[in-house]
Amino acid sequence: MNEKPTYTEAFEELQKIVSEIEEGQITVDELSAKVKRAAFLIKICKNKLSSTEEDVNKILKELESKEEIDRNN
Amino acid sequence: MPEKVNNKTIFSLLEVTLSIQKTLSARYARSFWVKAEMNKLNLYPQSGHCYPELIEKKEGTLIAQVKAILWKDDYININNNFLKILKEPLKNGINILLYAKIIFDPVHGLSLRILDIDPSYSLGELEREKQETILKMKKEGLFDKNKGLGISLLPKRIAIISTDTSKGYSDFLEVIDGNSWGYKFFHMLFPTLLQGERAVESIINQLHTILKVIGHFDVVAIIRGGGGDVGLTCYNNFQLSKEIALFPIPVLTGIGHSTNETVVEMIAYKNAITPTGLGDYLIQKFHDFSVPVTKAEETIIVKSMNRIKNEKLRFFNSVRYFRSVTGNLLLKCNNEILNKLRLLFQQSGSLLQKEKQEYTLILNGLKKETLSLCMSGKLLIKQMALSMKKDVILFFRDENKLIAGLEKNITLMNPENVLKRGYSITLLDGRAIKSVSQVSEGDLLNTVITDGNIISTAKTIHKSD
Repeated sequence: MNEKPTYTEAFEELQKIVSEIEEGQITVDELSAKVKRAAFLIKICKNKLSSTEEDVNKILKELESKEEIDRNN
Repeated sequence: MPEKVNNKTIFSLLEVTLSIQKTLSARYARSFWVKAEMNKLNLYPQSGHCYPELIEKKEGTLIAQVKAILWKDDYININNNFLKILKEPLKNGINILLYAKIIFDPVHGLSLRILDIDPSYSLGELEREKQETILKMKKEGLFDKNKGLGISLLPKRIAIISTDTSKGYSDFLEVIDGNSWGYKFFHMLFPTLLQGERAVESIINQLHTILKVIGHFDVVAIIRGGGGDVGLTCYNNFQLSKEIALFPIPVLTGIGHSTNETVVEMIAYKNAITPTGLGDYLIQKFHDFSVPVTKAEETIIVKSMNRIKNEKLRFFNSVRYFRSVTGNLLLKCNNEILNKLRLLFQQSGSLLQKEKQEYTLILNGLKKETLSLCMSGKLLIKQMALSMKKDVILFFRDENKLIAGLEKNITLMNPENVLKRGYSITLLDGRAIKSVSQVSEGDLLNTVITDGNIISTAKTIHKSD
């Protein structure tokens, strides 16, 4: 199972679990594991809505280094 | 007047230029309409006068060029008309229809003095240019290029093309940063000019900059607003439109004007019209992601609970059913056992009775047999006793006879009787002498006879042959 899904993967997997549960495809044996997984995915998705990892300084630094390369070329 | 030197008529430069001036003003006494491209406006800010450079090109080659003069007052009037009708100021690089008069100045030479410029002609020209751009974009297959891209499920990293002083920029930030749902966007400003002819180059340069760090962004947002509807023809520029169409991530526009949609807005991934609208569009994207997640959470809780509840009910029912079935079975078995027990009692009772009868019968038989056996035994014993009595009597008679004979013999054998008949016994030292070898001469011998004994001494001893 993918332990570090992107939010797109998390979203899609979550939708899959929901439809499986809705259609009653999940046995009681699997239920606990699936619900646990869904909670994990929901956490990832919600986290993505309220956080961001990008850093302006990092991007500026990248731009500087790229510009140097451009100049050297 | 001209001088005459060596038969030559010599004019001064002023005379020549004045002559040209006179001729031209006679020939071109009236003003007339001219269509031309205004290559450069050449506005002198201090004087407020303009000295436009008018040209005509054919297939990219310059085929005519004339200087022009536009006095301050005329310029202000014309420019106001342009702003009203074209939403553009008078500027470099547009086609104009000008009303002018040819003037010639001895110092400044030939020029067209512009009296008026028809804004509706330029408007048509601009519209024509816009249509040309659209046609070219379509022809090169670029028109739907950016629209055809997939947008990130959560477009949260935004490269903003705007200026930090723009009202539109602050409106946009207010919407996305001040949202009440706690959605967090990452945005970075790439400042540019947003209107006027230099905007094209400026925006393209920033697009190229963004391209270098494209991995950090989901979308590009071109935001402008608060500057009125002036100077937007740059968004009809083919080069800019092409750059945007070919940009590898979706380009969103919120250029914020209400009149005709520009080409850039047409070909952008999404034209939200206003910066606020663009912010709302992005927030909606977050909703589109958030709502299913929240709904998924609810669905999973409700459905799982239901599932467990149903399963419990099913289990409970099974237990109840099991209990009733086993209860019944137990009862049935119990009854069967009771029946069997009863049957066992009955059968064993009757069997016992039967055995008892048989036993009595046997016992009776045994008694009878024993009795008769005893009787016959008794009889036998009686007979045997009788016969034994007879035998004993006989036995005793025979024995008595035998004993009497033996008694007679024994009596005959008694030494006394033997001695009576004349025999004697000679003893030496109390013992009977049976051989002469026992006796030596001189031994004192005791001879026992029937009525006493004789003591003698052995004189000679003769052993018989």
